[in-house]
Amino acid sequence: MRPLLRRQPFLASVLVIALTVGSLLAGAGLAPAAETPRRGGVLLAVIGADPPSLDAHQESTFANIELVAPLYSTLLQLDPYHYPKIIGDLATEWKIAPDGLTYTFKLHSGVKFHDGSPLTAADVKATYDKIIFPPQGVRSIRKNAYTAVTAIEAPDSSTVVFKLKFPSASLLANLASPWNVIYPKKYLDQDPNYFKTHVVGSGPFKLKGYTRGSTFEGERNPDYFVKDRPYLDGYKFYISPETSVRAAAIRSGRAWIEFRHLPTAEVEAIKKQLGDKITVQETPMTGQWGVAINNTVKPFTDVRVRKALTLGIDRYTMGKVLYSLTGLKNVGGLIRPDSEWGMAAAELEKLPGFWRDAEKSRAEAKHLLAEAGYPNGFKVVLKNRNVKLPYQDFAVFLIQEWRKIGIDVENRPLETAAWFNDGQNTGNFELIVAPTVEFMDDPDQFLGRYATGSTQNWGRFSDPQVDDLFSRQARTLDPVERKKLINQIEKIVLENAYSMPGLWWTRNLVHWTKVKNYVAPPNHYTNQKLQDVWLAEE
Amino acid sequence: MRTYVAKRLLLIVPTLLGVAALVFFIMRVIPGDVTLLILGGDQAGRIDPAQIAAMKHQLGLDQPLLVQFGTWLWGVLRFDFGTSLWTGQSVIDELLIRLPLSLELALLASMVSVLIAIPLGMLAAVRQDSWVDYVVRVVSIGGLAIPSFWVGILCILLLVIYFGWGPPLEFTPPWVDPWANFQQMVWPVVTVGYRYAAVTTRMTRSTVLEVLREDYIRTAWAKGLRERVVVVRHALKNAMLPVITLIGTEFAFLIGGLVVTETVFTLNGVGRFVVDAVAHRDYPVVQALVFLIAFSFVIVNLLVDLTYAWLDPRIRYR
Repeated sequence: MRPLLRRQPFLASVLVIALTVGSLLAGAGLAPAAETPRRGGVLLAVIGADPPSLDAHQESTFANIELVAPLYSTLLQLDPYHYPKIIGDLATEWKIAPDGLTYTFKLHSGVKFHDGSPLTAADVKATYDKIIFPPQGVRSIRKNAYTAVTAIEAPDSSTVVFKLKFPSASLLANLASPWNVIYPKKYLDQDPNYFKTHVVGSGPFKLKGYTRGSTFEGERNPDYFVKDRPYLDGYKFYISPETSVRAAAIRSGRAWIEFRHLPTAEVEAIKKQLGDKITVQETPMTGQWGVAINNTVKPFTDVRVRKALTLGIDRYTMGKVLYSLTGLKNVGGLIRPDSEWGMAAAELEKLPGFWRDAEKSRAEAKHLLAEAGYPNGFKVVLKNRNVKLPYQDFAVFLIQEWRKIGIDVENRPLETAAWFNDGQNTGNFELIVAPTVEFMDDPDQFLGRYATGSTQNWGRFSDPQVDDLFSRQARTLDPVERKKLINQIEKIVLENAYSMPGLWWTRNLVHWTKVKNYVAPPNHYTNQKLQDVWLAEE
Repeated sequence: MRTYVAKRLLLIVPTLLGVAALVFFIMRVIPGDVTLLILGGDQAGRIDPAQIAAMKHQLGLDQPLLVQFGTWLWGVLRFDFGTSLWTGQSVIDELLIRLPLSLELALLASMVSVLIAIPLGMLAAVRQDSWVDYVVRVVSIGGLAIPSFWVGILCILLLVIYFGWGPPLEFTPPWVDPWANFQQMVWPVVTVGYRYAAVTTRMTRSTVLEVLREDYIRTAWAKGLRERVVVVRHALKNAMLPVITLIGTEFAFLIGGLVVTETVFTLNGVGRFVVDAVAHRDYPVVQALVFLIAFSFVIVNLLVDLTYAWLDPRIRYR
């Protein structure tokens, strides 16, 4: 059995994304195992929100995955030290058939769930059946990433087979998703929504307690299948929606890490006060903050109005203004500009909303609005999440920009669950701040939301050309050809202003230096299992 | 007095019934379908109508409204407020996690307020237009004008910057660890207590001023009584009626109304719980919390009325 990357050079190149982050972090002296790990201690962290539910399959917020990831195992995972390398978690080895249509995984033996029952291939199959072929009434927001998969089989207790109808360039990356945590089959059989409110995992930590609005705690799993892990006795998140309060908690030593992001101004103040007791890992981010435009409601059924919206934003100035406040910095399209799939700046600058000349863009926006029958603009509600960072500052900038072209926008912050419900579930909005944050720079993940009927297509638009291109790129193994298709999708979406990307994020991960062996990946979803993290004595 | 108390107690029943009905029916007419929320909604919100019907049946939402109301009321009578649609936990269990914190904060803030506000308000009234009065007025107007959450953030930042210390992030009940509890609660108590004391000080000052101009006080002065006797024994008791009303309603408000202060100090109190539940359209929780907050208002008002009767014999003999 040979590893995938040797057998599929195309796939290998698809999966290997520029290693700038890894080299940056290695350069900062964060490579693992520089010191002898110390056992014990409870890692204290702060987080900005409660999860809508505990079921990672149904959620897409940091407020879910940061809390529950340490409680579960996944089939594959991204290497905690070398993003975006894919390594096994429950899988010890895997092979891909020469035609690319069968993936066979061998599982670790002796893995137990926290209730003592053994984890077998049947559990992996049941989990992926729920994700890819969800029963009615069960939401699976990532099933579009697995359109190639026709069946999952468990021929014996330690073997899982994925059958595909066409070769998929992104399948392995998607199987390394931190969201695809493995659940015990017996509970899924009872109720596929069981894990919205319960936790039975096989991860390095077991759930100790969760008090909504206050704390989320895990304790060491003594039966964890990775020998001598985890190092920590446990972890504890304090839930605090206020950024300044979370920063103060780090500053006062009440908590030692904020896994998501703190604004540069707060980071500088913390560094000034605590000096080398604090480590800041600044990474790029596989995440973009933009606005979903509801294409099914007036006036946004008119492409001219949608175009005016995107033309009305001076993204280059926005990047300069918002960076120190929020970390939002880079102008880009639908794929991260620094990644191998991102559109070249020269190409991007030809598209509406990305012209360098802001005045020209505004004039064109006003002209389009007049043409569409809104010479004096109109009033509209921008729904938003009540998480300050970076949602609120982002909205404030947008609103003042839109005012310049005569659109009067009211910012309406909603609690996380209500925001998800209106944006994702019911479509009860005109405009809504909608980030696109994925766990890696994978085109299937970033572009799936622009396909017809995708749960993540908050704008509810449908373009057969986009659907066709998306489907073709997903099965194109030649990266050069694939990139051409990807760029075409970007052009169609941006020219029709179906959706409105804003800025790409950068991330300040702040932690006390005594928190060891945590390498920040370019997102806050992966490397959250904490199995290798340890605490040095002060 | 006994008749008065009995009358007041009996009045609680229709009041609570009215609140229960109001809460129940308001929650049913506000927009948003709880079944859609629970089911999530695969494929851009398209959910199978059979699933919705099944969920409605499971939650009892397919019953006529009056039957639903009756069922809920029967539950309330047995102190069973149902289960949170969001967490799957019993509403009472969820509430019991948060109520001790909110009660403690309300009690301590009320104590701080009463201990500071009544003497200060009285002093300001007795020394009207002196420097003491001016200082008291400026400080109390400050308490009204400055938002509590801002004072809270300022407290935290000053502690962190100058002492490298911040209040604990998790509530410890006083009976578990009084010192840890003190460390966490002292700052929100100061923050909330300042605003509360400001309101009460101003009320005390103005009512004492009013009473001091009454004929019977002039008579007391004419009798040659000492200032302390005139002010404390004759003026203060009568001036206290509006102040007690204010203290009562403020206390009841503090139990469920401190959303922002609770956020700033990461306190998992009833206020944040109510707001979260409304956002989630978690009907059983909202109904229970609004009902219980109304209940606390009713009880506090009852106590206030009884205190009135004790302070002013005319009320109990009426």
